[in-house]
Amino acid sequence: MTATEPRPGVQASATSGPRTLNLIQAITEAMREELARDERVVVFGQDVGARGGVFLATAGLQAEFGERRVFDTPLSEASIVGAAVGMAVRGLRPIAEIQFADYMGPGFDQIVSQAAKIRYRSGGQFTAPLVIRTPSGGGVRGGHHHSQSPESYFTHTPGLKVVMPSTPYDAKGLLRAAVRGGDPVIYFEPKRLYRAAKGEVPDGDYTVEIGKGTVRREGSDLTVIGYGGVMPDVEKAADALATEGVRAEVIDLRSLMPWDRDLVLRSVEKTGRAVLVSEAPRTSNFMGEVAYVIQEQMFDQLLAPVMQVAGFDTPYPYVQDRVYLPGANRIAAACVRALQY
Amino acid sequence: MIQPFTSDPLRWVAEDGQPIGELPARFTPEVLRHLHGEMVRAREFDRKLVTLLRQGRTTFYAQSRGMEATQVGLARSIRVGHDWVWPYYRDHALGLAMGVPLLDLISQCLGTNSDPSRGRQMPHHFGAARQNFVSVSSSIASQVPPAAGNALAQKYLGVDEITVCTFGDGATSEGDWHAGVNLAATAQAPCLFVCENNQWAISTPLRAQTASASIHVKAHAYGIPGYLVDGNDIVAVMEVMSHVAAEVRAGQGPALVECLTYRVGSHSNADADAEKNYRTREEVDAWVARDPITRVERLLEHLGDPITAEERSGLIAATHREVDEAVRQAEATGQPDWRIMFEDVYADTPVHLREQAAFLRAEQTGAGQTGGRA
Repeated sequence: MTATEPRPGVQASATSGPRTLNLIQAITEAMREELARDERVVVFGQDVGARGGVFLATAGLQAEFGERRVFDTPLSEASIVGAAVGMAVRGLRPIAEIQFADYMGPGFDQIVSQAAKIRYRSGGQFTAPLVIRTPSGGGVRGGHHHSQSPESYFTHTPGLKVVMPSTPYDAKGLLRAAVRGGDPVIYFEPKRLYRAAKGEVPDGDYTVEIGKGTVRREGSDLTVIGYGGVMPDVEKAADALATEGVRAEVIDLRSLMPWDRDLVLRSVEKTGRAVLVSEAPRTSNFMGEVAYVIQEQMFDQLLAPVMQVAGFDTPYPYVQDRVYLPGANRIAAACVRALQY
Repeated sequence: MIQPFTSDPLRWVAEDGQPIGELPARFTPEVLRHLHGEMVRAREFDRKLVTLLRQGRTTFYAQSRGMEATQVGLARSIRVGHDWVWPYYRDHALGLAMGVPLLDLISQCLGTNSDPSRGRQMPHHFGAARQNFVSVSSSIASQVPPAAGNALAQKYLGVDEITVCTFGDGATSEGDWHAGVNLAATAQAPCLFVCENNQWAISTPLRAQTASASIHVKAHAYGIPGYLVDGNDIVAVMEVMSHVAAEVRAGQGPALVECLTYRVGSHSNADADAEKNYRTREEVDAWVARDPITRVERLLEHLGDPITAEERSGLIAATHREVDEAVRQAEATGQPDWRIMFEDVYADTPVHLREQAAFLRAEQTGAGQTGGRA
């Protein structure tokens, strides 16, 4: 499947040919184009201005759009997120960057008490359509304050939308959809894929609908479901299984709240087996919800228990960084268990 | 002269009602009578709501008795429906004086169909879009960073508006308070921070809240002016607020005004025995003697235009009739049904919420499954 072919969840077709970008280039490009498209869009956070963000996601944006549109804030996640709420209520379209997802703690109350609730508590009188972008996940030797995967805290909060792309195409399309939507969106960026994930991205305007997953490869023997940073390892595991003649269907959820139950259920209906992969700690992992829905809806059709490959219930370690992450071998092993059940 | 960082509260009318120096010309007896009327209305609203609470017709109420001058004075110092207000949960006198319809306020307290916030919040947490009066959040000080953001947006949009953010003394201990004030200050956003220092955060006294001599001195640390005003002197509140709001509007950046006042009643129905448990009768009595409504009455006496007993009782009776009528109208609209629970979570209702709503509909109509979930 190429980037310009119609696919589920793609709402607008491209107007010109594809180019190869990496994930962070796609994110930067989405912000640049949204800043150019809509005067209400502003980008801010710690170090996003002259520095361009610690990962350079906002590199060049301040030079291009000025300090009025792209600016640094004090080092305070509460004020960054809270300010985004107030700006959105007053009519802007803020894109706030939290430098690492691990640092969302000080902004947590602003996210769950203000951003997530203001539409509901005001009966729709006030709304806060905003985007909080934040690098998340491990694999960069960052230790537990630069490697965590806190998405479940936010999928558990009604009123928030939560997405995590794994390809440049989706990164750009989802970010555009997030900026243009009517709700607060937590946009997790799997930081180890920033430069590792490369792919085709069209020049033209397109969005990827929040709430739609996608089939990365088709198969009939089992369904492997993941999102974000684990996706390359899921693909590697599928490759390894293919050499043994096993055809794994690979689904990238892309959106966690809401998530694409229909896509998952259709696939598991076909394969009878599901392996869920994420790098967040296992207990209360978002994939537990996916597993619940699969067993509830498809109990009679399952050929094996739903398998889960996740991070461990420890703080994210520094030295054992790569051991902690699921990896292709652990994913493949879970698939084999499902197949041999 | 209105100068920041005074050690004594700025005051125009002494506690006995005597003007201190020359009364500003705009405070004619007619204007003072109007302000008096608004404060009495807020106080009687308070009394009626406590009655409704005792009757079990509402479940929570946070009184503002004693704080009327601060809130009414603030309301009269801003451009209603033009400026934006991020209030806290004790601001009904502010809301009333800003023109939030009594029916909307009562409806919110009763959770009826006429509640603009659709029965989503506990009583007394209202919001009003027409007045740019943003819905109250219970989470203490969580309105402060959004208020800073609201002001940032106003600056960005180049509009002739300011943002007003109110909070109690307790809120100034929260991290969000410091984060929000600091952000607004660094960005020179047009935000007027108003501390309604009523001395108590439920049962925690100011001395346990901060080691600072006052709240307004904290402004100094953020590089913005801080003012201390007698919050029970409505003339002082309006003079200071008007002056400071004009400076904020003129692009001079944020400012903090601390209104020194007192919560005469309990925090809420949860601590009805405040005097018995954590305050002294003497302290409460001392503040009652500084009552903001009495002060205006004494001022009018000094000006030779006293409010008669008949006028006062007429005002009280009118408010009671107004509240009773609003209660009647609100209750007549009934309570929202289960459907509204699933609306306004997102801009559009996602499929999982539609299914959960269908589950509840089936359960409510007796056709639902008894196990599992949607």
